[in-house]
Formats: sequence, C-alpha cells, structure tokens
Amino acid sequence: MTMALADRVTAGLLFVLGVALLVGGYTMDRLEIRQIHPASIPGLLPMILGILLALCAGLLFRSSFRLDAHNGAPVLSDGSWLRLGITGAVCTIYALGLVGWLSYFWATAIFASAFALIFSFPVNGDRRAQAGSVLAALLLGATVAFGSSLLFRELFLVRLP
Amino acid sequence: MSGLGDLINGLGTLMTPTLLFHAGWATLLGIIVGSLPGLTATMGVALMTTLTYSLDSTTAILVLVCMYVGAIYGGSRSAILLNIPGTPASAATSLDGYPLAKAGRAGYAMGLATAGSALGTLAGVVMLVLVAPPLAEAALNFGSFEFFWLAVFGILISGQLTADTTPLKGYIAGLLGLSVAMIGSDGIHAHVRFNMGLTDLNAGIALIPAMVGAFGFAEVLTAMWNRAGEMATAKDKSDKTIPDLIDLWRYKITIARSGIIGTLVGIIPGVGEDIGAWASYAAARRTSKERDKFGHGSYEGLIAAETGNSAVVPGSLIPAVTLAVPGSASAAVLIAALFIHGIRPGPLIMIEQPDFIGLISAMVVVATFFMAFFGLTLTRAFVQVLRVPYAYLMPVVFVLCVIGTYALSQRMFDIWIMVFFGLVGFLLRQMKYPMAPLVLGIILGDLLDKSLRRGLTLSDGELAPFFTRPVSAGFVALIVLSIAMNIPAVRRAAMAPVRWIGARLNA
Repeated sequence: MTMALADRVTAGLLFVLGVALLVGGYTMDRLEIRQIHPASIPGLLPMILGILLALCAGLLFRSSFRLDAHNGAPVLSDGSWLRLGITGAVCTIYALGLVGWLSYFWATAIFASAFALIFSFPVNGDRRAQAGSVLAALLLGATVAFGSSLLFRELFLVRLP
Repeated sequence: MSGLGDLINGLGTLMTPTLLFHAGWATLLGIIVGSLPGLTATMGVALMTTLTYSLDSTTAILVLVCMYVGAIYGGSRSAILLNIPGTPASAATSLDGYPLAKAGRAGYAMGLATAGSALGTLAGVVMLVLVAPPLAEAALNFGSFEFFWLAVFGILISGQLTADTTPLKGYIAGLLGLSVAMIGSDGIHAHVRFNMGLTDLNAGIALIPAMVGAFGFAEVLTAMWNRAGEMATAKDKSDKTIPDLIDLWRYKITIARSGIIGTLVGIIPGVGEDIGAWASYAAARRTSKERDKFGHGSYEGLIAAETGNSAVVPGSLIPAVTLAVPGSASAAVLIAALFIHGIRPGPLIMIEQPDFIGLISAMVVVATFFMAFFGLTLTRAFVQVLRVPYAYLMPVVFVLCVIGTYALSQRMFDIWIMVFFGLVGFLLRQMKYPMAPLVLGIILGDLLDKSLRRGLTLSDGELAPFFTRPVSAGFVALIVLSIAMNIPAVRRAAMAPVRWIGARLNA
C-alpha cells in the first residue's frame, strides 16, 4: 500500500469522525433546564473540532493526489507481517482474554513463556538448543509472573485481576 | 538569585541515602530503557508512573525525573553502536556516532555523548531555575482568554514542528487528541459527553492508560515489526571513554549554543527532544569550520546533537511546571504523575509550593550526576544490554504495560483502553502521524474546552476579548505567523532578515 492510498482511506475515516463530532455536539443536551449561558453549552468545542477535523480530512484527501516522494512511499512494508501479526495476537489474547479469565499469575506465566518460545525457538536447531530454548522460556514466564505478582500485590497493594 | 538559592535548597533536600539510592537505580534503569531500540523515554516514564503510586511524592517525582533524564541520554548508546536511535531524540546522534563506532572509536563517541548530555542538561537547569519562577508569576495574570490561545498555540506548534512529512498530519494528530479529551464529563457542567453508553467512559479516558498504550504497546509492536540493527564491533587501540577536555573546550561555543537551543525548544509546548537535537545539529553544521566532517564522524556534530536533546529535558519542565502545558511527550506523563502525587502544576505552583521549582531542578541535577557516572563507567555493561533478545524483553515490557495500567484504578476497562491506543498508535506511526500532538491534545483538551466556554460566558458571548487583550493578541499573532510560515513565499519573506544577519556574521 502506498502512503497516498493510506491517506485517502484515513481521510475518509477522519471525515466521518469529524461529521460525527459535529452532529454529536450539535444534538448534545444544551442544559436549558439549568439555565446555563448559551455560549457555554457542552457541545460547543466538539462542534468546532468536528468542523476542523472534516476540513483537515478534506485537505489530506486533496494532498494525497500530489505526485511526490511522500505519497509514493510504501506503508507497512519495511517489517515482518508475520512477527507483527503474532505479536498483536498474542498480546491482545493475553490482555483481553487471559487476564481476568485465569488468575494473573498463570495468565502472565503462559503469556511470557509463549511469547519467548514463539520468537526464540530454533526450529532448525539441534535437540539441545531446542530444549534450552524451552527451558529459558519457561523460566522467563515463571520469573515475570512471580516477580510482577509480588511487586504489585505485596508492595503496591494492588488486588490483582 | 532566589532561583539558584532554591536549587541549592532542593539539592540539600535530596542529599539523603534513601533518595540518592532511588535516584541511582532510576537513572540506571532509564539509561537501559533508553538504550534499547523500541523503548522510549515516554514509555519509560509512563510505565514508571505506574510503579511509583505507593511512593511518597518527592521520591516518586525524583524516580520519574531520573528515568526521563537517563532514558534521553541512553538513546545515544544504540544510536552509536547500532545506528538505530534508542529513542527518537538520538536520531541526530547516529549520524556521527555510528561512523565513529565503525572506525573503532565507539568508546570515545559514547564519552563525548555523555559529556554533551551532562552539559546540555545543566545548561537547561540554569534556564529552568531562572525562567520558571518569573514565568509562573506572569502566568498568574492569564485568564480564560489567554489560556485558550495558549492551548491552541501548543497544539498548533507541536503539530507543525513534530510532523515528519506535512504539518497537516501533526494538526490532525492534535485534533484527534483533543477529540479524545471530549469523552467523559465536561469540566464546567459535569455533563457526560460521548460515553457511547459505557459508564466506564463517564470519567473520560485517563491519560496513563492512553500513554502506556500509545508509547508502550505500540512500541512493542514496532520493535517486533522492525528488523534488528547490526552492531558496530570494530575497536581502535587508542579508544577510551573519558573525553579529552581539549575537545570539550574546542567546542564550547557549540555546547553553549546547543544548550540554549535545546532549552528553548523544550519550552515550546509538545515539541520534544528530537527537534531539540536536530535544531542544535543544524545550527552547529551551519556555523562549523569542519562542516565537511558532519555525517562522517564529527565530534562537533555528536556533541551538538546530544547537548541539544538533553537540554530539552529541563526546558520542557518549564511550561510543564508553570503552565501545566508539557514541553514534550514525556513531560506530559510527568504532569499526570504530578497530579497523582498531589502536586498541582500551573501558575499557582509558586504560591502553593514555592520550593517545588528548586526541588525539581535539583532532581534534574542529581539525575545528571548519576547519568554521567554510569555513562562513563558502565560502557561495556550497556553494550551487553543491547544484546538482550527482543523475544525475552518484549513480553516483560507488555506485562508491565498491562499490570501497570490496571493498577491505576484496578479496573479491566483501562487495559482495553491501553490495547486500543496501542493498536491505533502503531498504525498512526506507520502513516507518519506524530504522537506528541496527540498526547498534548489529550492533556490540553480540558483546558481548551473550559477556557473557551468560560471566556465566552465572561464576555457574554462576545469574541472581541479573545483578540483584544494584549497577551491574547500576542498569541493570535504567533498562531497566524505559524500557519502562514507554511506558505513558501511568506516563509522566504520572514526569513530574509535572519539570512541577511547570518550572511553579515559569516562575512
């Protein structure tokens, strides 16, 4: 994907967001029942922001048609999609799924071990290297889970999820 | 002189074994965080904020300031050794630091970077103690009209100066931050806005989960996405880490100029250390007698970049403490931390806590001392830190992002916010939207909203006082000029006198 295309898509989303802010601000309760000054209605700044955001979205859309190096530059192309996808998935599953479902200790131990194992396991290595990688990942998971639990529960008196 | 007196009093307060111990480990941790590509100073300060809830306010602020100073300096390590800036602030450092490392002079480059950083921070501290108290007193005269324009100016200038490509993306980032700040109870009538039916959003989006997401989770994703750098391993037998005084003396003008430029950049709301480094580097290159060496291992270029970025740290504290307007993204987190610990930054700081500016300046000095000590003595240990695989480092960082965010209010909703801002922050970065205006928008949204509506109520709906009061008129002129400078013809006309003076001086 080029920056120009990314900018056009973003401009569309920003325009919708701007219009939503404008409409949301305009239709927001004006608190007449409390007899507030009409210039201090809660929707005033959201309306202004909505107009400015929609305006900026229009300018972004227009500038995306300019033929220059910025618009021709590739987006999300200089890294590894596989590593990004796995990182995003593992982290999101841990934060939004495991934490709160399992006890914090086990959720963290599983996450840290799995993360380390996925990204450090020598698929083409010998048995010894593979065993070492598994052991290191398990050790990391246990240490991180135990250390962070102890720190937050005992020292900061946090009721862990 | 009272500013310097307050600084000395502040140093006296910090000279206890416990506080020095905290300053030592926090600075060391800051250097480690800063030296690891993908972990920035802002993320370090945001994560550390979550780890300092239970500390008393002086210790907590000391730890955060030390983390900030250490991390900004620490970025130079990977910039020199890997050609990957540990933090964006060290991007300019890599231009001359990496060629020096490839020539076998990595130790000396790190020594010069240490000296430059220490001197830059100290130059900024002098400005902090001298400028902050009168600025706070002047700001006591600010009313709603002035604060409205101050917030507008902050977002605008931050968007303009931090955008990689076009200022438009900086403005959009600022507007998005302001829009986020519109969620939750408004600051005047406590009317709940845009909560989308979620009661968890009634209080708005807390800054710390948003920052931990945008700077923590987003950086974990960025680090795993990017390819690793190649470490410069060449060694010269004459290499050493203690810089020669003659080299520092030779570049005294560069150091002084970079210190002043860095501090001034720090004072500008939401601009940050990377701009301080680039501005100092550009000024040094323009005036240097050795400009051909820049980019090929110039000592002067390296010193200018490091002095410039480090001077931004105390500079950014000037508006943060006196106006509650952050000079950088890290300072924005620091403001949130100050509120958490019962310190109210803003014009009233000189009335409510008159010693605080001296105290925070002293914290920066203590952090600088530890930074110089660790920087000159633990060079080899830091090289080993850079060898820690991301597979082991990043899960630790993300666990701290999750539990640190949760610890703030002990509710799962904050973790969702963190993840959301992490994913959005990653995408925005990839599309070259700067993060600083976004953060500044979240911080300043409430001030902007309240100032606009209070001002309009005071003036009975009239707009004239927004333009006719002297300070407001000054801000309006600055804002118009800032926008007009985007037009090439205006920029050429405005810069003509500067070019003329520069040509005369060079002649």
